[in-house]
Amino acid sequence: MEPIVVVTTFFAASIRMAIPLALAGLGESISEKSGLLNIGVEAIMLCGAFFSFMVVFSTGSFFLGILAGMLGGLSMSMLHAFLSIRFKANQTIVGLAQNFLALGLTSFLFLMSFGQTTTLPSTRVLGDLPIPLLSSIPFIGQVLFSQNLFVYLTLGCMVLAHICFYKTDFGVALHAVGEHPIAADTAGLQVHTIRYIAALFNGILGGLGGAYLTIVKLGFFQENITAGKGYIALVAVILGKRTPFGILGAALVIGGAEALQIRLQTAGTGIPSQLFAMFPYLMTIAALLLTIGSANDPAALGIPYDRDKR
Amino acid sequence: MKRRDDEWVSLLVVTGATLLVAFGLIALVGSNLMVAASSFLRGIFGSSYAMSEVLVRATPLMLAALGVSIGFKTGFTNLGAEGQLYMGAIAITATALVFPGLPPIVMIPLVILVGFAAGGAWALIPGFLKARFSISEVIMTIMLNYVAINLVGILVRTSLKDPAYPYPMSPILPESANFMQMLPPTRIHAGLVMALLMVIAVHLLVFRSRLGFEMRAVGLNGRACLCSGIQVNRATILSAIAGGGLAGLAGVSEIAGLHHRLIEGISPGFGYVAIIVALLGKNHPVGIVFASIGIAALQIGSMAMQRTAGVPTSIASIVMGALILFLVIRDSRQSIAILEGV
Amino acid sequence: MPVLEMKDICKSFFGTYANRDVCLEVREGEIHALLGENGAGKTTLMNILYGMYQKDAGSITIDGHEIVFKSPKDAIARHIGMVHQHFTLVPTLTVQQNITLGLRDSGYPFSRERARCEHIDRLSDSYGLKTHSRTLVKKLSVGEMQRVEILKLLYRKAKILILDEPTAVLTPQESDHLFAMFKQLKAEGCSIIVITHHIQEVLDHCDRVTVLRDGCSISTVETKGIDAKQLSTMMIGRELVPVARERQNHHMDAPVLELVDFGFKRNGGKVGSVNLSLKQSEILGIAGVDGNGQKELLETLMGLRHHEKGKVVCCQQDISNASTAERRLAGIGYISDDRHRDSLVLDMGIAENLLLRPAQSTTTTQGRMVNKQCMLEQATRVVKEFSIKSHGLQEPMRFLSGGNQQKLVLAREFIGSPKVIIAFQPTRGLDIGATEFVHNQLLAMRSAGCATLLVSTNLEEILLLSDRIAVIHEGSIMATIENKAVDITRIGLLMAGVKTEGAAR
Repeated sequence: MEPIVVVTTFFAASIRMAIPLALAGLGESISEKSGLLNIGVEAIMLCGAFFSFMVVFSTGSFFLGILAGMLGGLSMSMLHAFLSIRFKANQTIVGLAQNFLALGLTSFLFLMSFGQTTTLPSTRVLGDLPIPLLSSIPFIGQVLFSQNLFVYLTLGCMVLAHICFYKTDFGVALHAVGEHPIAADTAGLQVHTIRYIAALFNGILGGLGGAYLTIVKLGFFQENITAGKGYIALVAVILGKRTPFGILGAALVIGGAEALQIRLQTAGTGIPSQLFAMFPYLMTIAALLLTIGSANDPAALGIPYDRDKR
Repeated sequence: MKRRDDEWVSLLVVTGATLLVAFGLIALVGSNLMVAASSFLRGIFGSSYAMSEVLVRATPLMLAALGVSIGFKTGFTNLGAEGQLYMGAIAITATALVFPGLPPIVMIPLVILVGFAAGGAWALIPGFLKARFSISEVIMTIMLNYVAINLVGILVRTSLKDPAYPYPMSPILPESANFMQMLPPTRIHAGLVMALLMVIAVHLLVFRSRLGFEMRAVGLNGRACLCSGIQVNRATILSAIAGGGLAGLAGVSEIAGLHHRLIEGISPGFGYVAIIVALLGKNHPVGIVFASIGIAALQIGSMAMQRTAGVPTSIASIVMGALILFLVIRDSRQSIAILEGV
Repeated sequence: MPVLEMKDICKSFFGTYANRDVCLEVREGEIHALLGENGAGKTTLMNILYGMYQKDAGSITIDGHEIVFKSPKDAIARHIGMVHQHFTLVPTLTVQQNITLGLRDSGYPFSRERARCEHIDRLSDSYGLKTHSRTLVKKLSVGEMQRVEILKLLYRKAKILILDEPTAVLTPQESDHLFAMFKQLKAEGCSIIVITHHIQEVLDHCDRVTVLRDGCSISTVETKGIDAKQLSTMMIGRELVPVARERQNHHMDAPVLELVDFGFKRNGGKVGSVNLSLKQSEILGIAGVDGNGQKELLETLMGLRHHEKGKVVCCQQDISNASTAERRLAGIGYISDDRHRDSLVLDMGIAENLLLRPAQSTTTTQGRMVNKQCMLEQATRVVKEFSIKSHGLQEPMRFLSGGNQQKLVLAREFIGSPKVIIAFQPTRGLDIGATEFVHNQLLAMRSAGCATLLVSTNLEEILLLSDRIAVIHEGSIMATIENKAVDITRIGLLMAGVKTEGAAR
């Protein structure tokens, strides 16, 4: 292969790897900005992946599949929000329990529907959708504008989220609720409502991220298909400092590492593939180390809001 | 007295709700409830061997959960028991293979020590980073799990590989590194005794020692400890090390008592399930004994259920997740009730 | 007709009454004081009016209509505004964002920053409240934050303004300015409710006063034709016995604690610097408006913040770079202004909270284990000596009253017979009985030879207890004066940063 082709395909692959992380990370960042720490991104993505696959498999409609993925993610994020807000539960524990629940539930329902099979049931995947004219730009056209719908969707979400965070009253409200809920409350904001709305976005975006895995990337579902992507999305949130483009950047870097390791694995070097598989995780650890001293967590992150307790 | 009654009632409600979830799922598969339930129970109590298998499975869970609970005491949310367990397993394998000639009297304490140290060292990384740089241990421990698991994958294909076989596994360890089989023909081994001894040790550490007091205080109000001149970082790091060490012992126990060689996947998620066990046991050593046996029984029973009633074993994960969620609801209701009742 | 009428309001928290059959009536265009000591239920009552709390019983009528507020949002819609004692501003947002938080104007959902800033600037000019609407709130001084809080109410066109202890963060002169502005608002038809426990303030500036005691409203009177003594008796229910403070003959020893060119980083990055020295049996009071670096000074002194520069010497021992534990072992005891956050583990009992000190200084550890018997004996002794009321030594501190909690903090700090006590707002939030207890204990320690650094924003407390008074402003000591015939006006000016002695009168 020509070097330029290698580079182009590598970048295009990095973007495709980054999409689920960026989507789920964006959702989580909205949730965290409001003060809800949901480490159950894995659960959200798993449900998104499973339900979108099931619906596409049975109806063949990608539209319905995407919708089902969003609903699947929503079910998990809203459960988390409900327990965190209504019962003031420990948010980390709830997220963790949800990861168990979703892992069990999706594989249970999957086995129930298809039984133990030797060949995984599969569907066709959402095809690429090159944008006329733009896709014919050399390099950039190949990398950016010959992608599938989800890539464009993600970029759109990032822009929208950026506007929402920094240009609208809702962005200010979200920030206030996460930093100082009492102040937000006394200013007349409905703290709990805003947190539920944040959880709503988290579910939708995380569900989309999960759906991407099954109905765009792979075309099939298997037990624990997310394999820790939800946790890596959490890393992207920290690295990106909860800013939309920061998260996108972090997701691209991690996605790049992922694309690289797959490329190296398939290159057949004789080195155990686990060494390459370890690579993205080592990289996220290294990246976390780079955040030393620049933590900017919302002050009320993970703390339930209670008017009576001051 | 009344509060005690409420405790039992709410526990019954939680159990009932969890059972309801389980039965609902079984009905969903279309299995006969009675058949499923009886195969579940027979899987656990059907024979003395079945019951012993529960204890065999409870052993690593107990050790790892004790480790997780120590971390939780200081507010060190250790989700990395899985990785720490694998590090313990690597340590015992490497040690036993490097010094095959040691007599058991030296070998056993040595591998226990090395396994503890390896698990502890693995937990020290996130512990130190949290104490010194306040980097979130939640994510760090999970990332380290993946690293440790892949590390095992690499080692059983390279330096620890058994040259006699084409499979990714280590040679059989020298017999001097084996834990005693307690009740043949069952697979119960001395690891269970070690686990029970650790229960006592952890109890003494947490509830009787000065360090344990400091750990609990740090977990409840770290800021006040800082102001009082208690060494918060020391308590955090020591709890991380002790917790990781105990999880490492779970790895040692699995290798020395059961597998006798390092293979990939020696832990079917013990480290993660241990978190559930610790939560169920309310982070109390004695509670963890019961919780680990209970969860082990749940897993063993659900395997039997899959064999005979066709209910996927993933029902066990669902039940564990649901159980924790119900308990979370119960606990928050209880703390509200306590505050309002007095 | 009164603009606001609260009738027979009841509210209880966890089984204890905070308000019982409280009545309050506020007229249009008046400054109405809500007087009572800490814990009398003033703030609770106002939080009910503002929709933060839901009342258990009673009725609230505004302009003749009975209303029910589910949240502050409803109260704001009814043109009620409240400034809490602990300001409710988001530090990481700008002044403008804080003021307009939660409001919907024409550009919704987009933030029309320029228009809002102009509006705010116009408003602040007309009331003489200087602010920069684009500054981040965390960069503001406490006084500026209060101005932002008041602007927040004005921006929302509040007709009933509630202010909780507004003068606590002001110098005497600034307080006069504040009340002058209230008079302007009053003339515009606003009603102002001021929560306070300062009787003089009520007499000087307010039209009427409602006195609360133990959660009940005692009476409402015109401030004309009542004197301080009558109000004080209504407020406390008995005549106040002043704390007896005998003169100490100072030992001319070398100082017990000495701060030489001691630097500390203040919030916002500025570095403060002080020179102080404390002798045996001396209480040095540091007066000053809240937020002038007191907290940062003390936390740096205790080793809780990074040491910037200079020297700390305690009993000839240089502890400039020592850890908190080493400082405590050198003989320093610390009473923080926030006992829940800094001093107590609320989920542990009395006995275990007494163990909260450096491991080397506890008598209850044997080897590495805690001697349970010893621990319980110690706790029993302390409970008796300090008459702490509780349901047993294992009862979580959470369930003790604020006074009893503070007694335990004092007891623990006094156990090792420290050479220096650092007391930061030691009576914050306590009722009069507990306050007296704390004051007497501090004086007893002084008699026992302990040197005390008392930092308080309550000037009365400083005047009552101190042998010498230092005034802090913007992180530096303006002057240190013997507490004999001190001139309050001068202290007030020093607190505001005015140094010239001629300006005193």
